[in-house]
Amino acid sequence: MKAVLIEGLLVALVGAGLSLAANYLSPRGLKLSRNYFPPPPAVSNAPPTSLAPGGGLTTNLPALSNALALRLQARGLSLLDSNQVIHLFHDPAYQQEQVIFIDARDDPAYQAGHIPGAYQLDYYRPEPYLPAVLQAAQFARQIVIYCNGGDCEDSEFAATLLAPAVPPGTLGVYGGGFTEWVTNGLPVEIGGRKSGVFKNAPSPPTAPR
Amino acid sequence: MSLDAPTKRKLADLAGVLGRWLLGGLFIYMGLNKALHPVDFLKLVRQYELVAHPYLLNSIAAALPWFEVFCGLLLVAGVAVRGAALMLALMLVPFSLVVLDRALGIAATQGIPFCSVKFDCGCGTGEVLICRKLVENTLLLLLALWLLCGVGTRFALRFRLQNPRGGPNRGAP
Repeated sequence: MKAVLIEGLLVALVGAGLSLAANYLSPRGLKLSRNYFPPPPAVSNAPPTSLAPGGGLTTNLPALSNALALRLQARGLSLLDSNQVIHLFHDPAYQQEQVIFIDARDDPAYQAGHIPGAYQLDYYRPEPYLPAVLQAAQFARQIVIYCNGGDCEDSEFAATLLAPAVPPGTLGVYGGGFTEWVTNGLPVEIGGRKSGVFKNAPSPPTAPR
Repeated sequence: MSLDAPTKRKLADLAGVLGRWLLGGLFIYMGLNKALHPVDFLKLVRQYELVAHPYLLNSIAAALPWFEVFCGLLLVAGVAVRGAALMLALMLVPFSLVVLDRALGIAATQGIPFCSVKFDCGCGTGEVLICRKLVENTLLLLLALWLLCGVGTRFALRFRLQNPRGGPNRGAP
């Protein structure tokens, strides 16, 4: 029995060391010291708000979105609903990149389809994407960040990551996310940004070629 | 027809080898599924709300899948078999308990029968029905405990780490 326990202990120690080494060497490995899920600051009792396309504030969010809206508000972010996002998508400012969309999902999801013209920012591996996103975000008056929608929190975390580096009040999270976008039959761009390959081709074109 | 004692021991040992390969293969498969998608596994581990500190949470999500692969490889190769089986048994018990706890919570929240609860438990096989998962884990636990008894010594590179040449289970094919 003692021999088995010693053997188990050896397996545990060697296994733990090798496992951490494998994670370190893996290109998909996690960074142990990073807080991937930053908690929101204490939530105030103020009513939830969202940023309207013109920059004005509305307070008529559906009850189901209230929890998300409160959480975003605590982070200094705004919740955008489907109508607002569609309005922003068709806003001429979108073609001038004064309005930009950011996709916070991972690369396979982005390549499979994203909102046309959306920048890619995989929240969990942001390094390759940050330079382009930050450059575009500097000149934007409205930034729309989305992930899959539903209980997906990646857009919220990505917005938190960007918040210190972009003009205040410009960040909005599309709560319905990509799932709602697709459900609404809106155009989807496949492959890289501005690939020119669409499902439900946008009309008129939403981004300069 | 009755088998003599040596034949029975030989058959039990061969069954142990198959059990060792089955358990090892399953853990390699499930571990790799998680290790290749560490972010997905990290999110699933977080949902259990077992640890709050980011470093601890990340360490669990980063190391656990590779540790499962490591133990699985030991079993398949027949190295430190009882130590590896002990580790798997020690992991299976708390895994099953936290999965059970979460399933009870889901059943209560959604008001559905317990065995209708289906979710991705982070076990490496995607969404599963909870009752099926618990039965599966129980069988794997029994298999690990059986291997702890010292069966499956054939086709093993080094069944025991200590005194590999001594004792009845010397690890020779």
